[in-house]
Amino acid sequence: MAVLTRGAFAEPGTSLDFKTGNWRSTEKPSHYHAKAPCHAACPAGEDQQAWFAKLQEGHPEAAWAELVAANPLPAVTGRVCPHPCETACNRATLDGALAIHNVERWLGDEAIRFGWAYPVSEPAVDAPDVAIVGAGPAGISAAYHCLRQGLRATIYEASPETGGLMRSAIPRTRLPRDVLDAELDRVLALSGITLELRTRLGRDVSLDELQHKHAGVLLAPGCQSGKAWSVDGAVPADLHEGLHLLKDFVDHGALPEAGDVIVHGGGNTSMDVARLMKRSGAASVTLVTASGLPGPGTEPADEINVVPRELEEALEEGIEIIDHATINRLIMKGSRVTGVEIMSLRKLPGQDGRPHRVGFEGTERVVSVDMVIPCIGEEVDAEGFAELVDHGYLRPKDRLGRLNRDRVIALGDARGDRGTVAAAIGDGRLAVSALAAELAGQPDPAPDLRTEMKSAGLNTTYYDHLPRATSPKRAVAERTFDTEIEGDIGRAAAMAEAQRCLSCGNCLACDNCWSFCPDNAVIKTVELALDGSHYLFDLDYCKGCGLCAHECPTGFIQMVPEEAGAEQPA
Amino acid sequence: MSVANERGERLSELRQKYGREPLPPRAEGTADTPREAQPKFRGLDSGHRACQGCGEALAARLVMESAGPDVMIANATGCLEVFTTPWPQSAWRVPWVHSLFENAAAVASGMEAAMKAKGRNTKVLAFGGDGGTYDIGFQALSGMLERYHNILYVCYDNEAYMNTGIQRSSSTPHSATTTTSPAGKERMGKRHLKKDLLSIIAAHHIPYSASASVAFPADLQRKVRYAMGIDGPTFLVVHSPCPLGWRHASALTIEVARRAVECGLFPLVEVERGAVTNVMPIRNVRPVTDYLELQGRFAHLMKGGDARAEEERAHLQALADYNIGVFGLKGEGEDPVDTGGIAAVGRSGRPAGRV
Amino acid sequence: MLEALEGSQAIARAVALCRPDVVAAYPITPQTHIVENLSRLVAEGDMHTEFVSVESEFSAASVVLGAAAAGVRAYTATASQGVLLMAEVLFNIAGMRIPLVMTVANRAVSAPLSIWNDHSDSMAVRDSGWIQLHCADNQEAVDTTIQAFRIAQETELPVMVCMDGFVLTHTMEPIALPEQKEVDNWLPPFEFSRRLDPDDPKSLGTLVAPDFFAEVRHSHHGAMLKALDVIAAVDRDWEGLTGRACGGLLEVSGPAEAKIGILAMGSTLGTIAMGMEHRGPDVASARLIKLRAFRPFPAEALRAACDGLDHLIVIDRAISPGLGGVVGTEVAAVLADVPGAPRIHNHAMGLGGRDIPETVYTDLVAAIADPDAPAFSIFDADLQKLAPEDR
Repeated sequence: MAVLTRGAFAEPGTSLDFKTGNWRSTEKPSHYHAKAPCHAACPAGEDQQAWFAKLQEGHPEAAWAELVAANPLPAVTGRVCPHPCETACNRATLDGALAIHNVERWLGDEAIRFGWAYPVSEPAVDAPDVAIVGAGPAGISAAYHCLRQGLRATIYEASPETGGLMRSAIPRTRLPRDVLDAELDRVLALSGITLELRTRLGRDVSLDELQHKHAGVLLAPGCQSGKAWSVDGAVPADLHEGLHLLKDFVDHGALPEAGDVIVHGGGNTSMDVARLMKRSGAASVTLVTASGLPGPGTEPADEINVVPRELEEALEEGIEIIDHATINRLIMKGSRVTGVEIMSLRKLPGQDGRPHRVGFEGTERVVSVDMVIPCIGEEVDAEGFAELVDHGYLRPKDRLGRLNRDRVIALGDARGDRGTVAAAIGDGRLAVSALAAELAGQPDPAPDLRTEMKSAGLNTTYYDHLPRATSPKRAVAERTFDTEIEGDIGRAAAMAEAQRCLSCGNCLACDNCWSFCPDNAVIKTVELALDGSHYLFDLDYCKGCGLCAHECPTGFIQMVPEEAGAEQPA
Repeated sequence: MSVANERGERLSELRQKYGREPLPPRAEGTADTPREAQPKFRGLDSGHRACQGCGEALAARLVMESAGPDVMIANATGCLEVFTTPWPQSAWRVPWVHSLFENAAAVASGMEAAMKAKGRNTKVLAFGGDGGTYDIGFQALSGMLERYHNILYVCYDNEAYMNTGIQRSSSTPHSATTTTSPAGKERMGKRHLKKDLLSIIAAHHIPYSASASVAFPADLQRKVRYAMGIDGPTFLVVHSPCPLGWRHASALTIEVARRAVECGLFPLVEVERGAVTNVMPIRNVRPVTDYLELQGRFAHLMKGGDARAEEERAHLQALADYNIGVFGLKGEGEDPVDTGGIAAVGRSGRPAGRV
Repeated sequence: MLEALEGSQAIARAVALCRPDVVAAYPITPQTHIVENLSRLVAEGDMHTEFVSVESEFSAASVVLGAAAAGVRAYTATASQGVLLMAEVLFNIAGMRIPLVMTVANRAVSAPLSIWNDHSDSMAVRDSGWIQLHCADNQEAVDTTIQAFRIAQETELPVMVCMDGFVLTHTMEPIALPEQKEVDNWLPPFEFSRRLDPDDPKSLGTLVAPDFFAEVRHSHHGAMLKALDVIAAVDRDWEGLTGRACGGLLEVSGPAEAKIGILAMGSTLGTIAMGMEHRGPDVASARLIKLRAFRPFPAEALRAACDGLDHLIVIDRAISPGLGGVVGTEVAAVLADVPGAPRIHNHAMGLGGRDIPETVYTDLVAAIADPDAPAFSIFDADLQKLAPEDR
């Protein structure tokens, strides 16, 4: 029993004997690392929030290392990716999304410039060797991720060059060849990757041989053959299919001559083609797409799937776009096109609940043209392994890309449900993680089921107004066929842009919880906070007021039911 | 002279000067617990019995961080006193005394006189709520200021007698309801205005007086540090929301305090020798209803279709506008220390954009 | 060496000899001369103290509370309304067991306004938990003041030194003041173990729940009872130093065989003694009991002092309206279980500064004979001055 002190004085800090933690009734604070929307949206699986954090701390190389944990080709994706991360960025609701792609590109270029070493080491000599078919973005990413998983990789590439579509179909104005070469060379030079050029699956080597020789086979052949295109059976004699036209241009610099051109399609190929044709002297170029332009009338899923800044530049350059429309009829003079009939359409839910394209009678109009360029996608050139291909694609049976053969996995465009370099890179990582798990006798890597931190979960009071960085750009009149249009933002702007990152869902170490807790129940400790934050909750004293959660800028602190498991060590 | 002797003399010299021996430097990693290793002074520790989300507990903790450890405190009767020192426990880690409701400033005066008599520099702080400062302890406070004691008096202003169960004080804002200023058919809450205490304090021509808010800890702590450096009477009134008395969710304490500043009803100003020398500019001025709507004590003002409510809202808006005009609170462009800039955080506490 | 000093001046000199670090006071008649003299000593550099000129008695008490809590010797003085304005602090000081010394220049309490002497003020804070010592003359006041600092320190209780306003405070008498060295040797430096100290930061003045409140009071009461011995011992010790004693807890004088006793506090007893000396030949002599320690109340000593008395006249200088005399009631209570205890005759007199003449002795002794006399009366009240319905 306590013994009364004279005058009833008390000793300092003895209140610690009184555990106010039992005042909490229903909820306690918890650290919850929600996915940042940029990360959730990234097809390559980058955690932009994580690498921006390193940059905020002033460490570009560490930021790059964090970035290339997912994506070995930032100098490429920083130029060609449609950056859904920026579309998703919560800062868009404040003062403009982060210029993520500019900073990514700057980091990629810095890595090339300074020769920063990829965070991988050479696998053991007797490590399992994985066969990778195709040296496009999916294959190269897969080879790189093999090294990260301690596996060796051998890439079989049919052509004499690496890079796949990055090399054959992306104009230099978007992706200079020296950048592409530099980044690919740095990855392919890593010890543990063997490259076999001019080795075509089905011609020079069989799938059985690969399976026999290697621990697993990753198929990333890409899509090489254009789909047959006609409108009601009419095919113009001088048909130029979009991707072939683009490849011809990239290879030889040649473009067909034309006056008024219609490009039909809604992807990056159609955008590239339209812009090239315009720059080569076409009187008018009109893009007809079934998708919609970004805006209030268009559902996000229905938006035209192109790099937003490419769209912006195309409009600057005078490309006309007719969205939510299709070519209904070709008007031919002999076997030559002289015009098209265009009809409005929309993607609407059908009776089966799935979206269908519905054309609207009475919206038809005829436009005179000299040339129609379809850009409606390509299929796998299945020669030599046709048994794997189903209606043009290697259609995998699970999210990791597995096919109906043991340890054979499909990646990239050949899957039929991809369409960007970033997605191909993401496939490389996913496929290797699946294969590595299988080889180690472990279950499949679990999908990341964390929730995404939406802007409503942030407390934006704590973010100062900072305008988005702008990148230098060539004026329309100065744009040529071989000089990059968008420029480098430079170190100062990149570092400043990093400070704009809201760190959605992850601890900023801003000290708000530590400063604002009326009960001193937040303990600052870098050593003991194992969750990547700098803080622990002292639940012996936390009264559960919820103040820390409300004042957490990033939504990293959330109030959870009392019975929920602690995410931290006691 | 031996080294030990020299050290002994140096220590006694320091002891003479500061009233205490300096704490021995703690070698890194020698703290027994992470709590002990916190890189800030814990003058007010955990285990106190303030309500959930208590603005006053937070304000006192922030003040202690910047003021301690070479201080001693005289604390007026009130929530802060009761919830920190239920015998045999105390949440304080500095010498602390509570005597009565209305005499904190006088008790502090005696402590300061004692320090003077001993030739020590230990700074004396006096803490009181708005009841103990604006009302019952006002005379003692005025005497303390006039006698020019070297004391920092901190008033934790939660705008009513909370310890006794939410009765109105002279600091209760106009039209707020309390148990002694309820709203009814004949009344719309408190009939009178919030006392302009800071002007009265300033009229004592003391070196420094200021208002601060728990919503802006960096500003609050700067003001404490500034006051601590002054040899003479200084005064700080800290707006400290009371979730129970103001009837808002405990998680909203900071939000409510921030809006009070951002609408102009609680201006953050600094006064030196009677002249306003600094104010915190408001980056985006909010309407007072943004502040009122979060609090049950103003719920009667938020009823639609009630002409009296509309009139009182307009009155409060006019009072806020008056403050904004008189103190020039409206910011001119973005400022790193306006209400928006000072709140900005960055990774590891660094303000975003100012690397 | 004797000096002719006004009572207040003598008190100020005595206080200065005790070297208080902090003095706080607010002027009120008839205490003013004490603080004025202290101020002058400070102004002349004869006394080194932080003199805090407060804005009220409430703050005066609070300032000395804070100063003593911070570990220094502190002193204040007041009277009348000042005591009442301090009342809340006085209870607080005692409850926190803070050693302090305060002079009360006893004065009536308003209304009606009266600046003259009686004991209503200190009586009103009888239950505050302070030691209350009453002084019969200015030499006693000087000696008791110095003793009070030591008593306060040894008991960790506050001590109120009561002296009659004007009658003592404003009267010149030859006074023996000890040498500074003597006091320095006799009075140990101030130590307060529970002082506010950044090296050992205690919290004073906590909230005590019902489960320990009774124990707080028990310990305070016990400390007051133990203080009886300390008061007596300190007085003896002082006598050893100066050859002067103040009577310890109470002092008995007059013929041992007397059957009548008269008990009073403060300067009244001097008047009674003169009255006895000058009484008529047929008037009985009396045993005079000077009650010095009113709190703690010296029950044992009082019982011994009353041994053999048939009558005990108790003089009160204040009244508890609706009951009567406070001292008289308490004396009666203490003697209640004593076999053959004297009959108590309780009278208040000298209220609001009314002069107590020497002849009162004879009148008091005569009144014993009246079998119809009430147990309590205001002895010198002239009922003719009242409207009939108020008599």
